Amino acid sequence: MTREGMDETRIGELAAAYGGDVRRWPESVRDAARAWIETHPLEAGRALFDARQTDAALFASPNPAVSMDLRDRVLASALAANLKARAGWPSLRKLLWIGGASWAAAACAGVVYGANLGGHLAAQSQADAVLDQAMLSFDETEVLG
Amino acid sequence: MGTVALPWPSRPFARLSARPERDRLASVADPDEELVRRVGQGDPAAIQAMVARKLPRMLALAQRMLGDPAEAEDVAQEALLRAWKQAPRWTPGKAKFDTWLHRVALNLCYDRLRRRREVPTEISPDRPDEGPAPDRGIMTAQLGAQVDRALVALPQRQREAIVLCHYQELTNIEAAGLMSVSIEALESLLSRGRRTLRQTLAHLAPGAEPAVEGARR
Repeated sequence: MTREGMDETRIGELAAAYGGDVRRWPESVRDAARAWIETHPLEAGRALFDARQTDAALFASPNPAVSMDLRDRVLASALAANLKARAGWPSLRKLLWIGGASWAAAACAGVVYGANLGGHLAAQSQADAVLDQAMLSFDETEVLG
Repeated sequence: MGTVALPWPSRPFARLSARPERDRLASVADPDEELVRRVGQGDPAAIQAMVARKLPRMLALAQRMLGDPAEAEDVAQEALLRAWKQAPRWTPGKAKFDTWLHRVALNLCYDRLRRRREVPTEISPDRPDEGPAPDRGIMTAQLGAQVDRALVALPQRQREAIVLCHYQELTNIEAAGLMSVSIEALESLLSRGRRTLRQTLAHLAPGAEPAVEGARR
């Protein structure tokens, strides 16, 4: 075997499977195969001969033509599948998603603001209670002596 | 990993959806991605472009798999109908759209081939012989018809391998993935199929004795 495992046997195997045109061979072996073929033209010709004849036969099979009737039926089936142009307008699902996301964002903002406000009010209330308590203590001391 | 939408998971060929080969196709650049996205949005120009791009391919695949023009048209139409349904929810990056479409069309072909086996028919899907004629165009058509007959006469898996690799020009990895076989098994199917074709069509080779049409029947 020579570079990248190429020899006449491997070239023959690849040609038998993929045909006599190296461009149609797996990408992973193409470069190594080309290099081997360039340096071994006689052996390569032998290995590729049958494959090229089979290729020629296969290419004799014409691709079927698409009739206008079939084309029209397939286009009509796109309409039947409800694939209609919606250019310029977001889908209903998208609108619902945007609406839901906006509502959720507003709700989250409200919760955060409420939590901050609540914390602030609680702190204020606590400070008031301490001051009241201090005042009460002062008064009691003064009154009771 | 998400699913590459197989139309009917309970059927025998649905096992194709769980193949590891699919992973190898992941993150492959998909030349159809933008077109599929526009089709999914209902863009009329994209729908027409998709028909122009895929309908001939699906028709050729089905024609060579089934050997029957009418059935091939039905399969191609059904495959594209499924493409319309799939396009709006197509997730790019998981598989190439063309490979997915081949899988759909192949499954439709398998269904029809299985039904044929269950209900034997006496009607041959062969094209009619045009008879001998000196005209070059007719001779070319005859040659094509002989190749098609030889192709249809191949064992199904060998025919499938040749159709996918030679005519549909899928890579060996894509074809092996669609057929749920290893690369080595694919190469074996290709080699055996091509060898049989070469033997069947040997009389067409330059310098060969002209075949008497009908002698093979």
